[in-house]
Amino acid sequence: MAKIKFILNDKPVELDVDPSARLIDVLRVNLNLTATKEGCGEGSCGACVVLMDNKGVNSCLLPIANVIGHKITTLEGFKHTKQFEVLKMCFADEGGSQCGFCTPGMIFAAHSLLSSNPHPNEEEVREALSGNLCRCTGYQSIVHAILRASKEGEGLW
Amino acid sequence: MVKYIPSSLDDALKFLAEHDAYICAGGTDLMVLKRNIAGHLPKFDKDVIYVSNLKEISKIYEDDKYVHIGATATLDEIYNNKLTPELLKKAIGEVASVNIRHFATLAGNIANASPAGDTIVIDYLLDAELILKSVRGERAVKAKDFVLGVRKIDRQKDELITEILFPKTKYDAGMWYKVGSRKADSISKVSVAGIYSIQGGKVSKFALAYGSSAITVRRSEALEKEITGLSQKELANRIEEFVEKYSQTISPIDDQRSTKDYRLLVAKNITRKFLKEVVEAKHE
Repeated sequence: MAKIKFILNDKPVELDVDPSARLIDVLRVNLNLTATKEGCGEGSCGACVVLMDNKGVNSCLLPIANVIGHKITTLEGFKHTKQFEVLKMCFADEGGSQCGFCTPGMIFAAHSLLSSNPHPNEEEVREALSGNLCRCTGYQSIVHAILRASKEGEGLW
Repeated sequence: MVKYIPSSLDDALKFLAEHDAYICAGGTDLMVLKRNIAGHLPKFDKDVIYVSNLKEISKIYEDDKYVHIGATATLDEIYNNKLTPELLKKAIGEVASVNIRHFATLAGNIANASPAGDTIVIDYLLDAELILKSVRGERAVKAKDFVLGVRKIDRQKDELITEILFPKTKYDAGMWYKVGSRKADSISKVSVAGIYSIQGGKVSKFALAYGSSAITVRRSEALEKEITGLSQKELANRIEEFVEKYSQTISPIDDQRSTKDYRLLVAKNITRKFLKEVVEAKHE
């Protein structure tokens, strides 16, 4: 066990956990924050993506030791932002969420992209989603939702 | 089992001097290898040290001879740095996914020594060197000498990779070609990287490196010597000869990702394409 300090959803947290624990387990098991989903558990599907310092990362591959001093954002924190409001509306309007399991990861892949490139073209959106799988295969709607969010959220990213 | 979070580089080296430990940088490979069921700790069979937050070895900078890439710099940071060799950027752009590149490292890719490691091909091609530090001192080792086999590397138990150095080699053009099951987020079936320069109608520099085609990256100094110095016309008449010779330097296998035959065919096709490009390159 070790003292692990980081910023979670804009609030400092200090946990006494095993340094090798995966971030996703700390979130879901220790902190009961279950918006983050586990799919493949090996970095291929992107369902577990959260933000670390505003960039999308796979929480199933991140040992909690590596999170020390960083800023982690999960959907529980992100849902209070204006960016989330826009993404939520666009995903809903474009039908970008079917069973919904991949959606948290998709939202963060989208936000991560828009933060570094507020006006992406379709190819850039597809590249940004390359690490996020949707088993309902609703990719087209997700791509449209993100392109639309880029327009409707003008100035937010 | 000790799971250690060092406070500085010196602290990490002291720990490594006393423990035979896994070194976890980004963790994107190690965490898959040591994976357990959901909700349980990864299954480690020896100590682990977590180095990803060591700022001292995260810098990217240059001197007269080299571009230095810190061992804990993420692939994303390397990709977005002006100093990074263009060919390395191309390869990084096709490693795993955008999300993984936000925390995976270049040092981790070579230390993991998978035959399918994409950036290792560029390390070989551009004559990269690794700096390894320990409490005993430091040493430099060429990438091609560092990888000994599948997941086997020339690292003593007390050593930590601190930097990867890329010589500031000049060349006219470079090629990076990765063949995978899909455009992104795939593990290579075959990858090929090459560089060349043309001076006065002659090949003045030439190198080719193959990934996922043998237990380690393959580069043939003998063939590079044979091709360097040829005129573009001479090379034009010998393309098939060199495609054949290069195909004999690799030994691809059948595995879950591809077959030996397919890999060999694709490697030959890419080699031919590259040699044609060299033959047709215009240079004053």
